[in-house]
Amino acid sequence: MPFSEPIYWDPYSPEILKNPYPAFKRLREAAPLYYNEEHDFYAVSRYADVERGLKERDTFSSVHGAILEMIKAQVQMPDSAFIMQDPPVHTAYRAMLQRVITPRRMNGLEAQIRAFCARSLDPLVGSDRFDFIANLGAEMPMRVIGMLLGIPEEDQIALREQTNTVLRTEAGKPMDVSLSEANMGGEAFEDYIDWRTTHPSDDMMTELLTSDFKDPGGNIRKLRRDEILSIVTMIAGAGNETTGRLIGWTGKVLAEHPDQRRELVKNPALIPQAIEELLRFEPPGPAIARYVARDVEFHGHTVPAGSAMMLLVGSANRDDRRFVDGDSFNIHRESRPHLGFGHGIHVCIGSALARLEGRVALEEVLKRFPEWEVDYQHAELASTSTVRGWESLPVFVGSGRPAAAARVTAPPAAAAAAAPVSVEGTWNVVIKGPTGAMLATLMLEWVDGVLRGTQSGQGSTSPITEARFENGNISWVNHTTKPMKMKVEFKGAVTGNTISGKVKAGFAGSFAFTAVKQL
Amino acid sequence: MPKILFIEHNGREHLVDADVGKTVMQTAVDNMVPGIIGDCGGACSCATCHGYVAAEWADRLAPMSGDESMMLDGALHVESNSRLTCQIAMRPELDGIVVRLPVSQF
Repeated sequence: MPFSEPIYWDPYSPEILKNPYPAFKRLREAAPLYYNEEHDFYAVSRYADVERGLKERDTFSSVHGAILEMIKAQVQMPDSAFIMQDPPVHTAYRAMLQRVITPRRMNGLEAQIRAFCARSLDPLVGSDRFDFIANLGAEMPMRVIGMLLGIPEEDQIALREQTNTVLRTEAGKPMDVSLSEANMGGEAFEDYIDWRTTHPSDDMMTELLTSDFKDPGGNIRKLRRDEILSIVTMIAGAGNETTGRLIGWTGKVLAEHPDQRRELVKNPALIPQAIEELLRFEPPGPAIARYVARDVEFHGHTVPAGSAMMLLVGSANRDDRRFVDGDSFNIHRESRPHLGFGHGIHVCIGSALARLEGRVALEEVLKRFPEWEVDYQHAELASTSTVRGWESLPVFVGSGRPAAAARVTAPPAAAAAAAPVSVEGTWNVVIKGPTGAMLATLMLEWVDGVLRGTQSGQGSTSPITEARFENGNISWVNHTTKPMKMKVEFKGAVTGNTISGKVKAGFAGSFAFTAVKQL
Repeated sequence: MPKILFIEHNGREHLVDADVGKTVMQTAVDNMVPGIIGDCGGACSCATCHGYVAAEWADRLAPMSGDESMMLDGALHVESNSRLTCQIAMRPELDGIVVRLPVSQF
């Protein structure tokens, strides 16, 4: 064995969730067919194997859905829940829906989507932070599905709440299948269907209500109300959280690749290929499950009929056998199909819409905020067994950015020398910690000839002690309580409105820091 | 072995060997021809293998099925000679067929 630790992966572990890619790589190299005893499932991780799993629909059945917990519970859904069916039932409904959700219809929403982005982002211009999820990703996809279906705006927010709660899992735990089965009926859409029945328009719902449908038995008829309900609930569930996650990953990955982000600002024509690379690099749905309908062999081992198989799309998309240097993010990568939308007969029916939403969202963000940095202290990864992404992704923009602060730390020498040296005031402190920039705010004032102040960061504020300022040198001590109790000692040189120096953080070690005075 | 000439929208050409019986889409994907995606694997349900078949070849192809014309109807950049290449199986008579690719599949 080339690795000292045992190879382990499951879709629930919060630790793995943070960064599954090292585990994926080890699976691909050392356990291309992996069996997880604890949760009793198999997994394949190489591109060719995942693609095969998605293609060979008779062996890898969708009859119990694509979510591990549902497969293990052997859930049976009604015919119209066609995502969770095999041919010929799946074929009949998919063909019907395909006629209604065409790329052209999806792309026709571009102007409406752009207007929504502008409404969401314009009020944020001029502030020093915003949240990719709270301010955009959480709301936009359901609004867009609403636009597609023709749902009035005020009903769209309630829909998002309902579908997301169903698919959410508690950290580290599998999904409660009974809860999701009970909720798959999608009561939220019922009133809308009834209203649209008597108020036809040119939207998708009207088309679902009025088009001829050749059912699995070969009869030509209209879709029943319960069928439409189950179809639109599924579409909403599939397209809502995933697209929101794509928007979150856009914020996260581009923050970490500022050079490529600058290229996109300069040349927005590169944005579609950047979205494609994001879908490869951080697919919102990193694992798709299938029910193994008959014995099947992978790498010399038999997977018995009746097993649950996880197809690790997130791993396949980084397989070096398929993508040169797969673990690196590169918007100039040679375009080559990835498995971010799945593959085969169940491939995402809304991929054109997701690509459109990703592109328009990024275009509109970059127009207003060409640079940002993630506030990891307040960012939160969401946990589900099917979708991985940010529940909250606050970012610093404009003057709020640590990098903006850091750049000011090297002002022209003349300007710095000319600036008055007064340490009183509020300072934005950036500590170049082991896991990236950490931010704090330092307030300093002279009280009866003694330097006093407070420091805020990591969600807490405490008074500083032992503060001194002599001959251009400043030092102070901050006792933090979050994320742990620690004595943190700062020593630096003040030049004009900047401080640079070293911070000693207890047992954690010493790091560089800079601070810039708020003017 | 019959050959297919794919011409990307930017003019780049790819001349590839094709197995008889395999679809034009699968041949492109197997040879990593950029510009053809084939997300659905040939089920005629994603319209990401869209290509333009030159007129002199068009009448040698089997006529379009209802599914194909329905998918193309909602696709982007459609022209009168548009086809979904997953619906074209290679035959010896198609040796040399020229397939131009659209500016984008989505």
